Amino acid sequence: MTRERNLRRVPSAVLTGLIGLLAVVVAPARAAGQAGVPGEVALAEEEAFRTAVAAVAGAVVRIEPGAAAATVNAGAEAAPSSGPSTGLVIDADGWVVTTAFAVPADVTETVVVFPDGSRGVGRVTGRDETRGIVLLRAAPLPAGIAPAAAWVPRGELAVGQWTIAVGRGWDATAPGVAVGILSALHRSWGRSVQTDAAVSPSNYGGPLIDIRGRVIGVLAPLPADTAGMNAGTELYDSGIGFAVPLEDILRVLPRLQAGETLRPGIIGIGYRSRDAVNATPVVAVCRAGSPAVRAGMRPGDRIVSANGRPVTRVADVRHVVAPLYAGDTVELGLERTVGDRPPQLLTVKVELTATLPPWRRTVLGIVPVRVAGGEGDAPANAADPAGVTVGWVWPDGPAAKAGVRPGDVVVAALAADADAGSEAQRIDAPAVLAGFVGGLEPGRRVVLTVRRDGAPVEVAVETGVVPAEPPTEVPAREGDPAAVRVVRLEAAELPEPVLAVVPDGDPKAPLGVLVWFDQPRGAVDGEAALRVWRAAAARHGVAVLVPSSADPQRWGREDIAAVARGLEALRGKRALDPSRVALAGSGAGGAFAWLAAERLGPGVRGVALVGAVIPRQATIEPAEPGRSRAVLFGGTVPDPAVRDADRQRLATAGYPVGTLPVTDGAGPPAEMLCSWIEALGVL
Amino acid sequence: MNGLSRTRPPWLATAVVLLLSAAIPAAAATPGETIAGAARSVVKIYGAGGVRGLEAYQTGVLVTPTGHVITVLSTVLDSDTIDCVLDDGRRFAGRLIGADPRRELAVLALEGEELPALPLAADQPRLGAGSRVLALSNLFGVAVGDERVSAQHGVVAAVVPLDARRGAYEAPYRGDVYILDCTTNNPGSPGGALIDWRGRLVGLLGKELRASTSGVWLNYALPIDEVAKAYDDIIAGRATAPATTATERFDPAVLGVILVPDLLDKTPPFIETVRAGSPAAAAGLRPDDLLVAVNGRAVPSRMAVQQTLGGLAAGDPVHVTVVRDGMIVDCDLGPRPAREGGR
Repeated sequence: MTRERNLRRVPSAVLTGLIGLLAVVVAPARAAGQAGVPGEVALAEEEAFRTAVAAVAGAVVRIEPGAAAATVNAGAEAAPSSGPSTGLVIDADGWVVTTAFAVPADVTETVVVFPDGSRGVGRVTGRDETRGIVLLRAAPLPAGIAPAAAWVPRGELAVGQWTIAVGRGWDATAPGVAVGILSALHRSWGRSVQTDAAVSPSNYGGPLIDIRGRVIGVLAPLPADTAGMNAGTELYDSGIGFAVPLEDILRVLPRLQAGETLRPGIIGIGYRSRDAVNATPVVAVCRAGSPAVRAGMRPGDRIVSANGRPVTRVADVRHVVAPLYAGDTVELGLERTVGDRPPQLLTVKVELTATLPPWRRTVLGIVPVRVAGGEGDAPANAADPAGVTVGWVWPDGPAAKAGVRPGDVVVAALAADADAGSEAQRIDAPAVLAGFVGGLEPGRRVVLTVRRDGAPVEVAVETGVVPAEPPTEVPAREGDPAAVRVVRLEAAELPEPVLAVVPDGDPKAPLGVLVWFDQPRGAVDGEAALRVWRAAAARHGVAVLVPSSADPQRWGREDIAAVARGLEALRGKRALDPSRVALAGSGAGGAFAWLAAERLGPGVRGVALVGAVIPRQATIEPAEPGRSRAVLFGGTVPDPAVRDADRQRLATAGYPVGTLPVTDGAGPPAEMLCSWIEALGVL
Repeated sequence: MNGLSRTRPPWLATAVVLLLSAAIPAAAATPGETIAGAARSVVKIYGAGGVRGLEAYQTGVLVTPTGHVITVLSTVLDSDTIDCVLDDGRRFAGRLIGADPRRELAVLALEGEELPALPLAADQPRLGAGSRVLALSNLFGVAVGDERVSAQHGVVAAVVPLDARRGAYEAPYRGDVYILDCTTNNPGSPGGALIDWRGRLVGLLGKELRASTSGVWLNYALPIDEVAKAYDDIIAGRATAPATTATERFDPAVLGVILVPDLLDKTPPFIETVRAGSPAAAAGLRPDDLLVAVNGRAVPSRMAVQQTLGGLAAGDPVHVTVVRDGMIVDCDLGPRPAREGGR
């Protein structure tokens, strides 16, 4: 068989040119791996890989781990990795691009090893926190460094083309090579491209190049949702790797050279649904003092375009906004419906910001009647689809002072100092009222339109901060304690059912939910749990989940998964009020309740820790609309200073922190916790 | 073992190699033909294990027509019966005839004649980064009976000394390996064949280990020349003691360098004081200098300084690199003394 005949048998292989003596074959992806393709092609490609790597090797340097990094960051978390990483020299003045993985935040200088083995100090000049990119200055460069010159514009990239990842983490003097194809173009919300070449700590910071040796981008551990310094590093062996296009880095290079830290740009809105992929981008909250408020956005606005691109889902908006920086401006097209008039279209220019003023949950002191809903839904008011029915008002709260009464139906709300001529927002669900109130700072006057005895009445209420302490008395539902049963919640992939103490009754009457983590002791005794929780569960209409720990010695991650599935199963049996879900626990179970709440997400509205402190590995994210929870501390802990520190951290982050008056060893404070569940619904 | 080395002396291996390499075409075969040809020599090995996350299977390669199989030394071979299944489904009882504990390789003998072997060509030049390779192994044990082992492709990512561990276990071999851009770090893969696109055996897939420094799982293969050396040693019955891995530590105080106290796990090696009249003082080292390299090797911690100095022989020149006021400074400290305290 001749070589020529073989080549013709590759139908879509395109010979794009000759580099020296070798034929370079692009397209189709991994074609050479298919049977019938001659070995010559594979070997020619191998030569092409080598030539491409040689073209860029003079620009690829090693970034040493550890020592220099620790000079400015003496903390225990100084260096995320003790292995060497990679950097890319982008011009002769000694500018080197690398990643935050190699040079974590707060580190100001690091050691660079050049291909000839000599060392230099790289000083951090700028950071791009949206992409995890760090710019170093390592001057003067030794002889023999050839800064990366050729790069590929985004527009020329095609999925399926060869990509080669080059790094010096393995060997400072010879470049490491990994070969793959371009897997996808717009990843990490438009901030990266994806390759199946092996990307790992050894080549983070190195270039991803094309078969001609031109730089596509800089390899980085960039996950879809950036969270934490090392996010994305776990993907190193999975066939998924990311590179930040060099085009994007060069665009902001002057700013990085000037010493700027580029941070993600924030609009300051929350959406009505947390389902980013499918949900329509309808604004639920505009944070006080946010760019959204400055631009005149309002709860209820539907975003229909972003920078000229039509958007129909929350994800579409993120694709436009995530690549932008604080200080950039995004133009949003909004559809606003006022009253029964046809929707109006308007355009706002939003200048993105890096941080928002600290947020604390604002309330009116209205506690709506319970409304069922799935997690993340905006539940409709079953009692009155055209409003929010007031169940009770918080004693001495703003609504009480303004004369709001149980049974009133809130149908509209207007911030008193809104633009002249703006109309009240229609309120048809507790979530809508929550969004409206959440966007206001404390001390704002709100005019509520309530229907009372069939007639509309206007009530002026001044917003207040959510109270930290639950009221001593809450209106009870007084269910029958005899009609409380232990329910076994079963679900697929759940080895053991989760036990729950559930009051009988109308399956449509929404229950509150409490998950109680006791000291871990393996399987829970259902009868004992019933004795503890029966009266309080009936009195306040609360389903109490009492999970078992898979390991009798400790609570673990699988126990959280079991709770999540148990909750799903319960939702299939009974109506649940999503605004009244809390986790609580005692001792090790209390610390674990905090971790479980972090993992279960914003659906958890309260956490109570009895005889426990917040575990050290926990993160306390600042409170935000849609992500705030009430916290209660009870019982005593070995070191009260630790708990005081917890209170301080939580208060700084904007969480209301109250006290649960319990005596040690008295068993779970069932009545107090179940009445607190009812109070969690306050708006 | 003695009997075997009588019936098949080492020089014969070389002869077979020459004979077979002549028969290998330059680059004519399609990848399918290349893989099919080499896979005939790849053996599925079943032995002890199956508990505590240790697999009871791995891979080996027939390297002589008379039934010598090279594979990795592992708990799989801790068994009275080692089942070896060839590409065509033939099943043989493997007999362990020897092992190289440093390179962690072993040779099994199968009772057979005219078996399809891949020659151990020790005289090949080392591959470089970017060389295309194919890996043939029974990863995850998916191939059974006469099913062909799995083929994977990739390139050599780097050629570097192995520095690997798995938990507390540290790999004794410290020589060069091929780091592969190919996910070969899988149960069953150890002992598989690494071949080039001409079908030549160029390496043997290594064990499931992590890189000591970064903790990433390693995809690596032992280069063919190391494999051949191990084979020759095993066949000749030469004892190959494991290399001493515990490097003696050497306190830089002997050279006049007193480092800051070791408070953290990885205290950065800042110089606290320099003893007057010492080699360090003569070389111009100063307090607050940060040691970053000793003789070109990165020293991210106090312990790394002691280990790197300990790895030098007495009399070797000591050359340190420090960061001082944001600049790199190189200093020569003269020869390393023989023992601490100058004894």
